[in-house]
Amino acid sequence: MPVRDYLGEFEHIIVLALLRLEDRAYGVTVRQEIEFRTKREVSIGAVYATLDRLEAKGYVKSRRGDPTPERGGRSKRFFRVTARGVAAVNRAQRALHSMSEGLDLIRSYA
Amino acid sequence: MTSHAGPLQPPRFATWLVNLFTSADEGSIVGDLLEEFSDLASKSGRALARRWFWRQTAKTVAHLFGAGYRSAPWSTTAIILGGFLLLKLAHGLPDKLLMAVTDRYLLYWSNHFQAYLWVLKGLRIEYLIGSAVVGCIVALAAKGREMIATMTLGLVLCAMAVVATVWVVTTTGDDSYLWNFPWHLSDSLVIVVGGAIVRARRSGATHRLSGA
Repeated sequence: MPVRDYLGEFEHIIVLALLRLEDRAYGVTVRQEIEFRTKREVSIGAVYATLDRLEAKGYVKSRRGDPTPERGGRSKRFFRVTARGVAAVNRAQRALHSMSEGLDLIRSYA
Repeated sequence: MTSHAGPLQPPRFATWLVNLFTSADEGSIVGDLLEEFSDLASKSGRALARRWFWRQTAKTVAHLFGAGYRSAPWSTTAIILGGFLLLKLAHGLPDKLLMAVTDRYLLYWSNHFQAYLWVLKGLRIEYLIGSAVVGCIVALAAKGREMIATMTLGLVLCAMAVVATVWVVTTTGDDSYLWNFPWHLSDSLVIVVGGAIVRARRSGATHRLSGA
Protein backbone atom coordinates (compact mmCIF):
# COMPACT_ATOMS: atom_id res chain seq x y z
CA MET A 1 0.00 0.00 0.00
CA PRO A 2 1.47 3.45 -0.85
CA VAL A 3 2.43 5.45 2.23
CA ARG A 4 1.18 9.06 2.28
CA ASP A 5 3.82 11.59 3.28
CA TYR A 6 1.46 13.98 5.05
CA LEU A 7 -0.65 13.86 8.20
CA GLY A 8 -4.39 13.26 8.10
CA GLU A 9 -6.60 15.12 10.59
CA PHE A 10 -6.70 12.35 13.20
CA GLU A 11 -3.01 11.54 12.70
CA HIS A 12 -2.25 15.22 13.31
CA ILE A 13 -4.31 15.17 16.54
CA ILE A 14 -2.59 11.98 17.75
CA VAL A 15 0.93 13.32 17.13
CA LEU A 16 0.05 16.50 19.03
CA ALA A 17 -1.32 14.38 21.92
CA LEU A 18 1.94 12.36 22.01
CA LEU A 19 3.97 15.58 22.10
CA ARG A 20 1.84 16.89 24.99
CA LEU A 21 2.05 13.65 26.99
CA GLU A 22 5.81 13.16 26.41
CA ASP A 23 6.91 9.93 28.19
CA ARG A 24 3.41 9.19 29.63
CA ALA A 25 1.93 8.50 26.18
CA TYR A 26 0.22 5.11 25.90
CA GLY A 27 -3.24 4.01 24.66
CA VAL A 28 -5.28 5.15 27.68
CA THR A 29 -3.61 8.56 28.18
CA VAL A 30 -3.63 9.34 24.44
CA ARG A 31 -7.34 8.47 24.15
CA GLN A 32 -8.25 10.51 27.27
CA GLU A 33 -6.14 13.49 26.20
CA ILE A 34 -7.90 13.61 22.81
CA GLU A 35 -11.35 13.23 24.40
CA PHE A 36 -10.60 15.95 26.96
CA ARG A 37 -9.29 18.47 24.42
CA THR A 38 -11.49 17.77 21.37
CA LYS A 39 -14.67 16.87 23.37
CA ARG A 40 -15.37 13.93 21.06
CA GLU A 41 -15.53 10.25 21.99
CA VAL A 42 -12.63 8.31 20.56
CA SER A 43 -12.27 4.52 20.49
CA ILE A 44 -9.09 2.80 21.57
CA GLY A 45 -9.21 0.89 18.26
CA ALA A 46 -9.07 4.16 16.29
CA VAL A 47 -6.13 5.34 18.39
CA TYR A 48 -4.15 2.11 17.85
CA ALA A 49 -5.02 1.83 14.15
CA THR A 50 -3.69 5.39 13.65
CA LEU A 51 -0.63 4.85 15.85
CA ASP A 52 0.27 1.70 13.89
CA ARG A 53 -0.05 3.67 10.66
CA LEU A 54 2.14 6.46 12.04
CA GLU A 55 4.71 3.89 13.16
CA ALA A 56 4.74 2.38 9.64
CA LYS A 57 5.42 5.89 8.26
CA GLY A 58 8.29 6.34 10.72
CA TYR A 59 6.64 9.25 12.54
CA VAL A 60 6.24 7.37 15.83
CA LYS A 61 8.17 4.70 17.76
CA SER A 62 6.81 2.36 20.41
CA ARG A 63 8.22 0.34 23.30
CA ARG A 64 6.61 -2.05 25.76
CA GLY A 65 6.29 -1.38 29.49
CA ASP A 66 5.93 -3.97 32.23
CA PRO A 67 2.70 -5.99 32.62
CA THR A 68 0.46 -4.83 35.50
CA PRO A 69 -2.32 -6.70 37.42
CA GLU A 70 -5.02 -4.02 36.82
CA ARG A 71 -4.47 -4.57 33.09
CA GLY A 72 -5.02 -8.33 33.41
CA GLY A 73 -1.27 -8.94 33.22
CA ARG A 74 -0.94 -7.08 29.92
CA SER A 75 1.82 -4.57 29.25
CA LYS A 76 1.45 -0.94 28.24
CA ARG A 77 2.74 0.19 24.84
CA PHE A 78 4.40 3.58 25.13
CA PHE A 79 4.76 5.84 22.10
CA ARG A 80 7.03 8.75 21.26
CA VAL A 81 7.29 11.02 18.23
CA THR A 82 10.41 10.69 16.06
CA ALA A 83 12.30 13.59 14.48
CA ARG A 84 10.54 12.76 11.22
CA GLY A 85 7.20 12.96 13.02
CA VAL A 86 8.05 16.36 14.49
CA ALA A 87 8.99 17.60 11.01
CA ALA A 88 5.68 16.27 9.62
CA VAL A 89 3.59 17.94 12.33
CA ASN A 90 5.48 21.24 11.83
CA ARG A 91 4.75 21.01 8.11
CA ALA A 92 1.06 20.37 8.78
CA GLN A 93 0.86 23.22 11.31
CA ARG A 94 2.50 25.64 8.87
CA ALA A 95 0.10 24.58 6.10
CA LEU A 96 -2.91 25.09 8.37
CA HIS A 97 -1.62 28.45 9.56
CA SER A 98 -0.92 29.55 6.02
CA MET A 99 -4.39 28.51 4.84
CA SER A 100 -6.20 30.21 7.74
CA GLU A 101 -4.10 33.39 7.81
CA GLY A 102 -6.21 36.50 7.21
CA LEU A 103 -9.51 34.67 7.67
CA ASP A 104 -11.66 35.90 10.52
CA LEU A 105 -13.13 32.40 11.04
CA ILE A 106 -15.10 32.96 14.25
CA ARG A 107 -16.79 36.21 13.20
CA SER A 108 -17.27 35.61 9.46
CA TYR A 109 -18.32 31.96 9.27
CA ALA A 110 -19.88 31.14 12.67
CA MET B 1 -10.60 -14.33 27.75
CA THR B 2 -9.67 -11.96 30.51
CA SER B 3 -7.79 -13.03 33.58
CA HIS B 4 -8.90 -9.91 35.48
CA ALA B 5 -10.22 -11.14 38.82
CA GLY B 6 -12.65 -9.59 41.32
CA PRO B 7 -16.11 -8.05 41.12
CA LEU B 8 -15.15 -5.36 38.58
CA GLN B 9 -14.99 -7.69 35.64
CA PRO B 10 -15.76 -6.38 32.14
CA PRO B 11 -18.15 -8.25 29.81
CA ARG B 12 -16.28 -11.46 28.95
CA PHE B 13 -17.80 -11.76 25.49
CA ALA B 14 -16.75 -8.20 24.60
CA THR B 15 -13.19 -8.88 25.79
CA TRP B 16 -13.13 -12.08 23.74
CA LEU B 17 -14.35 -10.18 20.66
CA VAL B 18 -11.59 -7.57 20.93
CA ASN B 19 -9.02 -10.37 21.40
CA LEU B 20 -10.23 -11.97 18.15
CA PHE B 21 -9.39 -8.82 16.21
CA THR B 22 -6.04 -7.96 17.78
CA SER B 23 -2.82 -9.64 16.70
CA ALA B 24 -1.68 -12.60 18.81
CA ASP B 25 1.19 -10.71 20.51
CA GLU B 26 -0.77 -7.45 20.94
CA GLY B 27 -2.41 -7.40 24.38
CA SER B 28 -2.11 -3.63 24.84
CA ILE B 29 -5.57 -2.80 23.45
CA VAL B 30 -7.36 -5.19 25.82
CA GLY B 31 -5.05 -4.07 28.64
CA ASP B 32 -5.95 -0.42 28.01
CA LEU B 33 -9.68 -1.26 27.93
CA LEU B 34 -9.42 -3.21 31.22
CA GLU B 35 -7.51 -0.37 32.89
CA GLU B 36 -10.08 2.25 31.88
CA PHE B 37 -12.97 -0.06 32.74
CA SER B 38 -11.66 -0.59 36.31
CA ASP B 39 -11.14 3.14 36.73
CA LEU B 40 -14.59 4.02 35.36
CA ALA B 41 -16.35 1.28 37.37
CA SER B 42 -14.84 2.49 40.65
CA LYS B 43 -15.71 6.14 39.88
CA SER B 44 -19.09 5.94 38.10
CA GLY B 45 -20.47 2.47 38.81
CA ARG B 46 -20.38 -0.89 37.11
CA ALA B 47 -23.43 -0.43 34.85
CA LEU B 48 -22.04 2.71 33.21
CA ALA B 49 -18.60 1.11 32.90
CA ARG B 50 -20.09 -1.96 31.16
CA ARG B 51 -22.00 0.24 28.71
CA TRP B 52 -18.80 2.17 28.01
CA PHE B 53 -16.91 -1.10 27.50
CA TRP B 54 -19.45 -2.40 24.98
CA ARG B 55 -19.45 0.91 23.09
CA GLN B 56 -15.66 0.88 22.93
CA THR B 57 -15.68 -2.77 21.83
CA ALA B 58 -18.06 -2.10 18.93
CA LYS B 59 -16.07 0.91 17.70
CA THR B 60 -12.71 -0.79 18.25
CA VAL B 61 -13.71 -3.94 16.36
CA ALA B 62 -14.99 -1.80 13.45
CA HIS B 63 -11.73 0.18 13.35
CA LEU B 64 -9.51 -2.91 13.60
CA PHE B 65 -11.56 -4.59 10.85
CA GLY B 66 -11.09 -1.62 8.49
CA ALA B 67 -7.44 -1.07 9.40
CA GLY B 68 -6.65 -4.79 9.03
CA TYR B 69 -8.21 -4.92 5.57
CA ARG B 70 -6.46 -1.72 4.43
CA SER B 71 -3.08 -3.02 5.64
CA ALA B 72 -3.13 -5.90 3.11
CA PRO B 73 -6.08 -5.41 0.73
CA TRP B 74 -4.82 -7.52 -2.20
CA SER B 75 -3.78 -10.63 -0.30
CA THR B 76 -6.97 -10.50 1.81
CA THR B 77 -9.11 -10.15 -1.32
CA ALA B 78 -7.27 -13.05 -2.98
CA ILE B 79 -7.88 -15.26 0.07
CA ILE B 80 -11.58 -14.31 0.13
CA LEU B 81 -11.93 -15.09 -3.60
CA GLY B 82 -10.16 -18.42 -3.05
CA GLY B 83 -12.55 -19.14 -0.18
CA PHE B 84 -15.53 -18.30 -2.39
CA LEU B 85 -14.39 -20.75 -5.10
CA LEU B 86 -13.64 -23.40 -2.48
CA LEU B 87 -17.13 -22.92 -1.08
CA LYS B 88 -18.68 -23.48 -4.50
CA LEU B 89 -16.65 -26.70 -4.76
CA ALA B 90 -17.55 -27.82 -1.23
CA HIS B 91 -21.27 -27.17 -1.83
CA GLY B 92 -21.20 -28.95 -5.20
CA LEU B 93 -19.62 -32.15 -3.92
CA PRO B 94 -22.53 -33.50 -1.81
CA ASP B 95 -24.91 -32.95 -4.77
CA LYS B 96 -22.61 -34.82 -7.17
CA LEU B 97 -22.11 -37.64 -4.66
CA LEU B 98 -25.85 -37.99 -4.15
CA MET B 99 -26.46 -38.05 -7.92
CA ALA B 100 -23.85 -40.77 -8.38
CA VAL B 101 -25.33 -42.87 -5.56
CA THR B 102 -28.87 -42.29 -6.86
CA ASP B 103 -27.93 -43.42 -10.35
CA ARG B 104 -26.20 -46.54 -9.05
CA TYR B 105 -28.82 -47.61 -6.51
CA LEU B 106 -32.00 -46.35 -8.21
CA LEU B 107 -33.94 -49.48 -7.31
CA TYR B 108 -32.95 -49.23 -3.64
CA TRP B 109 -34.04 -45.60 -3.42
CA SER B 110 -37.37 -46.29 -5.13
CA ASN B 111 -38.07 -48.93 -2.47
CA HIS B 112 -36.90 -46.65 0.34
CA PHE B 113 -38.16 -43.27 -0.80
CA GLN B 114 -38.47 -41.96 2.79
CA ALA B 115 -34.75 -42.57 3.30
CA TYR B 116 -34.04 -40.64 0.09
CA LEU B 117 -36.00 -37.67 1.45
CA TRP B 118 -33.96 -37.77 4.67
CA VAL B 119 -30.74 -37.74 2.65
CA LEU B 120 -32.01 -34.68 0.75
CA LYS B 121 -32.70 -32.92 4.07
CA GLY B 122 -29.23 -33.95 5.27
CA LEU B 123 -27.67 -32.10 2.33
CA ARG B 124 -28.30 -28.81 4.15
CA ILE B 125 -26.28 -30.04 7.11
CA GLU B 126 -23.50 -31.12 4.75
CA TYR B 127 -23.47 -27.60 3.25
CA LEU B 128 -23.07 -26.16 6.74
CA ILE B 129 -20.20 -28.53 7.56
CA GLY B 130 -18.60 -27.63 4.21
CA SER B 131 -18.96 -23.90 5.00
CA ALA B 132 -17.38 -24.37 8.44
CA VAL B 133 -14.43 -26.23 6.89
CA VAL B 134 -14.01 -23.48 4.25
CA GLY B 135 -14.15 -20.88 7.05
CA CYS B 136 -11.31 -22.71 8.84
CA ILE B 137 -9.23 -22.96 5.62
CA VAL B 138 -9.72 -19.26 4.82
CA ALA B 139 -8.71 -18.35 8.38
CA LEU B 140 -5.63 -20.58 8.18
CA ALA B 141 -4.58 -18.85 4.94
CA ALA B 142 -5.23 -15.34 6.32
CA LYS B 143 -2.79 -15.57 9.22
CA GLY B 144 -3.24 -12.59 11.54
CA ARG B 145 -6.36 -11.44 9.65
CA GLU B 146 -8.54 -14.51 10.25
CA MET B 147 -11.64 -12.61 11.36
CA ILE B 148 -11.31 -9.96 8.66
CA ALA B 149 -11.16 -12.56 5.87
CA THR B 150 -13.95 -14.82 7.20
CA MET B 151 -16.24 -11.92 8.13
CA THR B 152 -15.81 -10.31 4.71
CA LEU B 153 -16.54 -13.63 2.99
CA GLY B 154 -19.59 -14.08 5.25
CA LEU B 155 -20.84 -10.56 4.50
CA VAL B 156 -20.37 -11.02 0.74
CA LEU B 157 -22.35 -14.29 0.86
CA CYS B 158 -25.04 -12.61 2.99
CA ALA B 159 -25.37 -9.75 0.51
CA MET B 160 -25.57 -12.23 -2.40
CA ALA B 161 -28.24 -14.25 -0.58
CA VAL B 162 -30.32 -11.12 0.08
CA VAL B 163 -30.09 -9.95 -3.55
CA ALA B 164 -30.82 -13.44 -4.95
CA THR B 165 -33.78 -14.02 -2.60
CA VAL B 166 -35.34 -10.61 -3.33
CA TRP B 167 -34.84 -11.12 -7.07
CA VAL B 168 -36.30 -14.67 -7.13
CA VAL B 169 -39.27 -13.78 -4.90
CA THR B 170 -40.13 -10.61 -6.86
CA THR B 171 -39.76 -12.22 -10.30
CA THR B 172 -41.52 -15.51 -9.54
CA GLY B 173 -43.88 -14.28 -6.83
CA ASP B 174 -43.17 -17.54 -4.99
CA ASP B 175 -42.38 -16.67 -1.38
CA SER B 176 -41.49 -20.28 -0.52
CA TYR B 177 -37.89 -19.30 -1.45
CA LEU B 178 -37.85 -17.22 1.73
CA TRP B 179 -37.61 -20.49 3.71
CA ASN B 180 -34.12 -21.03 2.27
CA PHE B 181 -32.93 -17.64 3.46
CA PRO B 182 -32.13 -18.69 7.07
CA TRP B 183 -29.98 -21.50 5.64
CA HIS B 184 -27.99 -19.01 3.54
CA LEU B 185 -27.47 -16.84 6.62
CA SER B 186 -26.36 -19.90 8.60
CA ASP B 187 -23.73 -20.58 5.92
CA SER B 188 -22.24 -17.13 6.47
CA LEU B 189 -22.42 -17.55 10.22
CA VAL B 190 -20.58 -20.90 10.31
CA ILE B 191 -17.82 -19.46 8.07
CA VAL B 192 -17.25 -16.74 10.69
CA VAL B 193 -17.43 -19.36 13.47
CA GLY B 194 -14.75 -21.38 11.62
CA GLY B 195 -12.60 -18.23 11.51
CA ALA B 196 -13.15 -17.57 15.22
CA ILE B 197 -12.16 -21.15 16.12
CA VAL B 198 -8.87 -20.91 14.17
CA ARG B 199 -8.17 -17.43 15.60
CA ALA B 200 -8.86 -18.54 19.19
CA ARG B 201 -6.67 -21.64 18.81
CA ARG B 202 -3.80 -19.61 17.30
CA SER B 203 -4.11 -17.00 20.03
CA GLY B 204 -4.11 -19.73 22.72
CA ALA B 205 -1.04 -21.38 21.18
CA THR B 206 0.83 -18.04 21.13
CA HIS B 207 0.00 -17.37 24.79
CA ARG B 208 1.13 -20.88 25.77
CA LEU B 209 4.41 -20.36 23.87
CA SER B 210 5.03 -16.94 25.43
CA GLY B 211 4.15 -18.31 28.88
CA ALA B 212 6.54 -21.29 28.52
